[in-house]
Amino acid sequence: MFDNEELLKETKSQALNSETVGNIHVDDPRIIAKNINVFYGDKPAINNASIDIGKNEVLAMIGPSGCGKSTFLRCLNRMNDTIDTCRVEGELFLDNENILDKKTDVVSLRAKVGMVFQKPNPFPKSIYDNVAYGPKIHGMAKNKIELDEIVFKSLDKAGLFEEVKDRLDAPGTSISGGQQQRLCIARTIAVSPEVILMDEPCSALDPIATAKIEELIYDLKKNFTIVIVTHAMQQAARVSQRTAYFHLGNLVEVGPTSKIFTTPQHKLTESYITGRFG
Amino acid sequence: MNMTVILITLVLLAASSYYVGLKKSVSIQKSEKLHSAPIYHGSLIAIYSLIVSLLFISMWRLFENYLYPEFSLSKNLIFFLSLLVFLITALIVFLKIEKNFRAREKVENIIEIFLLICSTVAILITIGILLSVIFEATRFFSMVPITDFLFGTHWSPQIPIREDQVGSSGAFGAIPLFTGTFLIAFIAMIIAGPIGLMSAIYMSEYATKKTRDIIKPLTEILAGIPTVVYGFFAVIVVAPFIRSSGEYFGLNIASESALAAGLVMGIMIIPFVSSISDDVINAVPQNLKDGSLGVGATKSETIVKVIIPAALPGIIGGLLLAISRAIGETMIVVMAAGMSANLTANPLEAVTTVTVQILVLLVGDQEFDSPKTLAAFALGLVLFFMTLILNYVALNIVRKYREQYE
Amino acid sequence: MNNLKSRIAKEKRFKAYGIISITTALTLLTILFISIFSQGYTAFQETRIQLPVYFDQEILDPNKTNDWNKIKKANFNGLVKQSIRNLFPEVSGRSNKRKLYKIISSSAEYQIRNIVNNDLSIIGSKQNIWVLADDDVDMLIKGNINRNLPENERRIDDQELMWIEYLESENLIKKVFNKTLFTSGDSSESEQSGILVALLGSLYALLITLVLSFPIGIATAVYLEEFAPKDNKFVDFIEVNINNLAAVPSIIFGLLGLAIFLNFFEMPRSAPLVGGMVLSLMTLPRIIIPARAALKSVPPSIREGALGLGASNVQAVFNHVLPIATPGMLTGTIIGMAQALGESAPLLIIGMVAFIVDIPQGFTDPATTLPVQIFLWADTPERGFVERTAAVIMVLLIFLVLMNSLAIYLRKKFEKNIT
Repeated sequence: MFDNEELLKETKSQALNSETVGNIHVDDPRIIAKNINVFYGDKPAINNASIDIGKNEVLAMIGPSGCGKSTFLRCLNRMNDTIDTCRVEGELFLDNENILDKKTDVVSLRAKVGMVFQKPNPFPKSIYDNVAYGPKIHGMAKNKIELDEIVFKSLDKAGLFEEVKDRLDAPGTSISGGQQQRLCIARTIAVSPEVILMDEPCSALDPIATAKIEELIYDLKKNFTIVIVTHAMQQAARVSQRTAYFHLGNLVEVGPTSKIFTTPQHKLTESYITGRFG
Repeated sequence: MNMTVILITLVLLAASSYYVGLKKSVSIQKSEKLHSAPIYHGSLIAIYSLIVSLLFISMWRLFENYLYPEFSLSKNLIFFLSLLVFLITALIVFLKIEKNFRAREKVENIIEIFLLICSTVAILITIGILLSVIFEATRFFSMVPITDFLFGTHWSPQIPIREDQVGSSGAFGAIPLFTGTFLIAFIAMIIAGPIGLMSAIYMSEYATKKTRDIIKPLTEILAGIPTVVYGFFAVIVVAPFIRSSGEYFGLNIASESALAAGLVMGIMIIPFVSSISDDVINAVPQNLKDGSLGVGATKSETIVKVIIPAALPGIIGGLLLAISRAIGETMIVVMAAGMSANLTANPLEAVTTVTVQILVLLVGDQEFDSPKTLAAFALGLVLFFMTLILNYVALNIVRKYREQYE
Repeated sequence: MNNLKSRIAKEKRFKAYGIISITTALTLLTILFISIFSQGYTAFQETRIQLPVYFDQEILDPNKTNDWNKIKKANFNGLVKQSIRNLFPEVSGRSNKRKLYKIISSSAEYQIRNIVNNDLSIIGSKQNIWVLADDDVDMLIKGNINRNLPENERRIDDQELMWIEYLESENLIKKVFNKTLFTSGDSSESEQSGILVALLGSLYALLITLVLSFPIGIATAVYLEEFAPKDNKFVDFIEVNINNLAAVPSIIFGLLGLAIFLNFFEMPRSAPLVGGMVLSLMTLPRIIIPARAALKSVPPSIREGALGLGASNVQAVFNHVLPIATPGMLTGTIIGMAQALGESAPLLIIGMVAFIVDIPQGFTDPATTLPVQIFLWADTPERGFVERTAAVIMVLLIFLVLMNSLAIYLRKKFEKNIT
């Protein structure tokens, strides 16, 4: 058995120069991250992380709180731009374009790489308008009929249509938390992104609502590439094909989910999986 | 061809150019994915062309009036030239429309620039104040030495009409004004300080939520009453009351007295003091209070020994803000304090203040070459910097205090 | 346990100080309201006297022209005097007659003239017409002059009192709703003076203030809160300026208005246009500061949600943040406008303090405002004007209460929005 303190010391010594264990590459990458470094002011938050994200796969990012998994996720659609002190270095390729480049239009990037947040955050508008907002600003529908179609399809894909079809005019904030989160997913799908980022989407939900979202993620995999940050290891095990383990800003290990949870190669990963810290 | 016609034509043109831009981008959208939604393309043409042509017109008028008065063309020509400018700009933008044209970004840049320009208005106002006050005050100081103004003890700004009149030159010693101002502010603070502070303490520490819900709006009413109403109140209620109670004690009190003005100003400032103190007291962390109550102190002991010392800088800052408010207040003093510049510390006499004299000097006929009118601006300068310094000090104290508990 | 007892006593005393303070403040507020109400409520009625007017053809239109342009030059004053004499035929002697004429307001002449103008066929007939009473009579009827005082201590002497009591006994004198107060401008005779000029002046000035300060104020708040780069010297400078302006005494803005608007740009004196401009300078920071607070309290998750969908910063702000913050920003704006409505010092300096009889037709006609009218009338010792001053205050306070209630309503709505 490991002593926790000893483990922490070891962690710190490893934090400075660590190579990611496992295979970071995939055959058909959708996103390629190369040597990503993130700083908040002068404090480093992510050290030299490199990873491929494959097409139509669900990649789970796990790790103890403050390990940088959410920060990394937010790099993928440049949501970190909204934090003034945050600085991102490295290269991130989506469709052969470095999206960290200053010239990149973040708005079209975020239309391609949608995001679902930790706490459901529907706009204080009707359910319909919540979903219709994205297509409207991107000029995706030429008329009301097309817009209706997009909205209904998205709600349907998010598994929400049957539940809300009679009250599309009700405020988005009036439905339950789980429904709100699925509404936010529908809202994201409506823009037809290629990648969906999910930042602990179930942390504010009860187990039943969580199960529904997990089911949904499984379905969405067919059409989208999904990156999910989660605190619950069981969830990662249930929904993802590949898992990346972050620890104190380091990308420690990447591999097929089944392998990570059964035979982790890195000591830190193993300790985390077996619940020594979290 | 007058200006209105030109403007209306340009706006109509802008509307139609919007439509043209919209059409073109919609037709592109049929086959390819656009970077920006069609409305942005339309808006960009309209806004760009409108801005450029308006700039053209205003530049033209500027040059026409100030630089080449002899080179003035007929209004019709300006009209046609501005239309030409509009159409050329519109055409250039129109040709640029294609699928990757970032119209949205450009429209948004214009919006942001517009917002930025709006926020510089605050700076313009400050510059306006400084320019108007400093410029006229300098003229005043070239007629009356600044030392006479700041340290003189005699104030009688009336310039005599005949040379041989008694007291032939106006006197501009502002000391009686300053003492009058501070005397009244002092009386006001004696009233408002304790009452405001104690009300705030009671409201935040003792009162039940129900009482608070009733009394808070009432004090807000007190804060919303125009000062001219307080002035009227001073004249018809407070001053006669003071006068008659003075008579009762055998004192002869002028109908306009520093006491009446100060008292009413105190009432006016109570809600100001209490709302600032309320904020400050609420900012004291709960654990400090709990700590004191936890060792068995009574509520009042906690307040006097823990909360007030902790909140003291904030309270002092708040009181300074209230003093600055009292110094700048005009209507109450003009109605209740009087016009005679007495150098006295006796609250039962009539005194005058800086603000009253500014008003007295400027209401009625103004001659901008006489020191009498210009003196008002010199007083304004003093008042501006006095309140500025008070506020700066007060806000800094309050800010430091807040940071301490954040 | 003596110690504890004294501590508890101390505690009670301390609490009592608090209660005394609040009660004092509220008592003063009550006294203020009561004194204004008791002084002012009578001003909403005016006294009228019924005159039997004979529209004498000989006086009005001796040549039977039926032409208003000729008739309007007729001696209406004489007609009124004759009618009063008809009411009291027994009065004789010049000085007695002059005294008698004075129980009627000098406006009666114009009232009769208007009646003739509206209907020329009235000439030759006899009509009973309710004309305005003189202000002293008005005061007596309203009880503001005590009839029981000795003659030399009241403004109405015994003979006048006798006439009035005769009118009372014959039901020829009555109090009606004071329409004059709301339909006329200033006048040197209190019974003929009204607040329409001030009301319109306030309205025009506030419109200008709103049009200027609302868009600029909101735009500034939006820029500073949503778009301005952080840690930028220029932006800091703007903020410092706004905070300072909020604390500048209002009279200083009057100096700016006088030096820049009136002297430099040569705008008209006493005009609501300039008044509104000066007030808007003062109101601007009072709109910006609460608007920023409202924007700040919109949860960041809303903004993130929109950005995550690929909305641009501008779209996120205009489509989501602004709609949520709107009630909060309006609350600040209304309170700022209410303060502008009650402000008078800067307006006095730009000359909005004048005796103005003519109703302003636009933004550049001379006018006063409600608070300035209060200031002007409060300076007049006549009892009739004291009453009217208090009445204007009541009108002004009603407007302020309405505006503040609207602000409170919107604030409640806003608080609901952001939770």
